[in-house]
Amino acid sequence: MILSALRLSLLVSALATALVAVVGTWAGWILARREFRGRELLDALLNLPLVLPPTVTGYYLIVLLGRQGFVGGPIYRGTGWSVTFTWVACVIAGAVMAFPLMVRSARVAFEQLDRRHEIAAASLGHGRLSTFLRVSLPLARRGLAAGVILAAARSLGEFGATLMIAGNIPGRTQTLPLAIYDAVISGEDRTALWLSVLLTSVSVAVMIGAGRLGRGARKSS
Amino acid sequence: MSGGFDIDVVVERRPHKGGPFRLEASFRTGAGITVVFGPSGAGKSTLLMAVLGAMRPARGKIIVGGRTLFDSGASTSLKVRRRRVGIVFQDSLLFPHLDVTSNVAFGLLETPRKRRREKALAALETVGARDLARLMPGELSGGQRQRVALARALAPGPSALLLDEPFSALDASARKTLGDMLLALQRETGVPFLHVTHDLGEAMRLGTHLVVLDGGRVAQVGPPPQVVAAPASAATAEAMGTENLFSGTVRGHFPARGYSEVDLGGTVVETGLLDVPSGETVALGLRAGDILLAVEPVRGTSARNVLAGTITATGSRGTAIELHVATPVTFRVLVTTEAVDELGLRPGQGVHLLVKAHAFHRLL
Repeated sequence: MILSALRLSLLVSALATALVAVVGTWAGWILARREFRGRELLDALLNLPLVLPPTVTGYYLIVLLGRQGFVGGPIYRGTGWSVTFTWVACVIAGAVMAFPLMVRSARVAFEQLDRRHEIAAASLGHGRLSTFLRVSLPLARRGLAAGVILAAARSLGEFGATLMIAGNIPGRTQTLPLAIYDAVISGEDRTALWLSVLLTSVSVAVMIGAGRLGRGARKSS
Repeated sequence: MSGGFDIDVVVERRPHKGGPFRLEASFRTGAGITVVFGPSGAGKSTLLMAVLGAMRPARGKIIVGGRTLFDSGASTSLKVRRRRVGIVFQDSLLFPHLDVTSNVAFGLLETPRKRRREKALAALETVGARDLARLMPGELSGGQRQRVALARALAPGPSALLLDEPFSALDASARKTLGDMLLALQRETGVPFLHVTHDLGEAMRLGTHLVVLDGGRVAQVGPPPQVVAAPASAATAEAMGTENLFSGTVRGHFPARGYSEVDLGGTVVETGLLDVPSGETVALGLRAGDILLAVEPVRGTSARNVLAGTITATGSRGTAIELHVATPVTFRVLVTTEAVDELGLRPGQGVHLLVKAHAFHRLL
């Protein structure tokens, strides 16, 4: 049980982080570079999961993705499959909770770039995508790496929203934080202790690994 | 068709630091280096950004080397990457994550991949930076960075090159070297350069054409010696920060005594020792505020030039008064209202001007 919870936690965290890294970088770019109506509102909405209780975020996810949800309903009626109470729901919950951290880091990283670098790239014949991939992205990599680290740590420790939308099914949707909660509730103090130590160790390992990545990126600049 | 810049634009910048800004620039220059000169805030950088395509003019036309880059009448506005206009910024802005060779090869999109490196090295060769090829931008000095930035901008064979105060962060000797290199590169490539600076000496030395910009408007356009010899307006002179601009002939040098003699066209003055052969023409600047004025003949002064003259005109300039004094060459002299009242200065009156030899500074 412990092993499956650890395996699921790492898988969920890795997938959620990958998803957040791509979408969050894009969203941060839009917020940093484009001026459009409702930009501040969009920014506030994207940051909501940071301030709302995770259970509230989880509740909204049910309303959206549940069997009767706005998006989940049609999918369920069409295919008979629902995302709720599956490991995919764990990934979604982890991604949504980690998303604001990535967007913030990415936005700040892009805002700090000297736009004239992009102008220079354009004057040398490069289009928007090429300029983004060859100039903006590499120049912002430190801030982006920091965002990825934060996102990974946040999704690894996700509890509230996951509980709401994915439940707490041992072997299927029970991640490490949920397993710890179970252990404490059922008085298995030793298990709770071991799981906590395990989660702490994994987190420390992730942070050290990510920190090394960040330093490597810095060295090559 | 002109081989240089044919520009007639109105650019409005949205309120930024210190409110909205409006640039109305209209000028036409031929091949060579067009120097845009003016004090900070004159609209020089705004003009560059409009030519580059990073800022869209409210209306007007931008034609560079006969190619129309922007024409509001015909709804033409080429994208930055289609303009083939290179740029060198003040702080060079090399891509810090790429080595020197990759920086220069960055714009060689039309060159087959295999040949890019070779072509980048050739471009580095032309700016004398071949030996820097493997270094990262962070390892270069300011002058080296500007060389590489020049190579990067010129490598793809642009139809024009813009330079935004490229030497302002460099020391005097690096400026001189890079200035000479710029002149040589322009001659070799034939590409028209648009060079922005607030350094009048640099403007005089590099410019084939001089465009004086002040307060968002073109104050004067012409060959530098002509603009210097006859600033069209007080605005031009003031923009240059040197109200008195003379074109003179060097009469002789007295190295042991530390001075040179220059004929300004009827008035001979002593200046600091000049590095110009006798008989050559030299452009000298002199600030109106650096001249002393006396109503009586003065003796026992260290000022090497005591010039007798006659006041021909007076006019107010802000809180001060500007006098024109014919010696016979006309000097503009800045004095306070209090001095005018106390000395009873008026047109027709004979006065003496006191000018230190070193108050004259060489512009060309």
